[in-house]
Amino acid sequence: MSTLIVVDQAPYGSWAGREALDMTLSLAAFDQPAALLFIGAGVNWLRQQQAPEGIGQKSLEKNLSAAPIFGVETIMASASDCQRYGLTDANTLAGVVTVDDTKAAMAGYEQVAFAG
Amino acid sequence: MTSTPVQTPTLHILNKAPEHSRFAACLGALSPGDVLVLSENAVLALPARRNELPEGTLAVSADLSARGLEEAFAAQSIDYAELVRLTEQHPRIISW
Amino acid sequence: MTDSAMPQRNNEGFLEDASAWTPEVARVIAGESDIELTDNHWEIIDFLRDFYREHEMSPPSNRLFVKAVKEHFGEEKGNSIYLMQLFPGTPAKTACRIAGMPRPTNCL
Repeated sequence: MSTLIVVDQAPYGSWAGREALDMTLSLAAFDQPAALLFIGAGVNWLRQQQAPEGIGQKSLEKNLSAAPIFGVETIMASASDCQRYGLTDANTLAGVVTVDDTKAAMAGYEQVAFAG
Repeated sequence: MTSTPVQTPTLHILNKAPEHSRFAACLGALSPGDVLVLSENAVLALPARRNELPEGTLAVSADLSARGLEEAFAAQSIDYAELVRLTEQHPRIISW
Repeated sequence: MTDSAMPQRNNEGFLEDASAWTPEVARVIAGESDIELTDNHWEIIDFLRDFYREHEMSPPSNRLFVKAVKEHFGEEKGNSIYLMQLFPGTPAKTACRIAGMPRPTNCL
């Protein structure tokens, strides 16, 4: 069964996103197909050069970059939300696929779960 | 969109209060034939936003009871066993 | 290593600060579990240290630890029997403790 985890909340403000990443990696650990979709303020997860030492947190950018190693094949982001937050190819995490129609992207999965 | 894909009946499980942005997102994503189940704080939409909810909206009994709403909305109430049955009947599930 | 030179650790023996780690610290922590570090151990420890530098996390569970090792070194080393022989107990926990990294979050 394929599962899509949707992150629509900004990084660092809450634990919701980290829990989402945890859930995604847990699915991957048991070889369950899992993918991530970032929409709304959630796209800010994907910005390069996050340096959260000053707020005492680990870099979500670096955490997220481990996902492919653990078998999370697909990381998608809403194209319009990326544009709204000034995310371009130049400052976005490598390997992220932008999608124009998030509803269509969600339709490809049997299970869709919003984080937090 | 040029072609409309055939809609797979989807079960939407919503647990956010009506003020949460995801509440509106969920209502906007409903297609004909989909089923909406309210759980946790989302059951508060029954007294507050009744006319925005689609016909046939359901709510989890334990969450209604916890908030003193079971009696008023007994017609919409389903127990966990019925919720499980719904998840088995629907090929697609979105947990909002 | 004297007790005063050992960096601060939590009640499960994991370093509080991964940057305080040195190879000597690894030898001391390994010694507590009667593990003598060989080249095979160091290969995995170095891999984990690199992983931490790049991703600021430990592999969250034992399965994912094995998966990451397999991804990097191949089937021969990326299997739980091999890693269990090197790092007895729960390999991810034992290896991360020796490598001075945080406790894997999902290892019970």
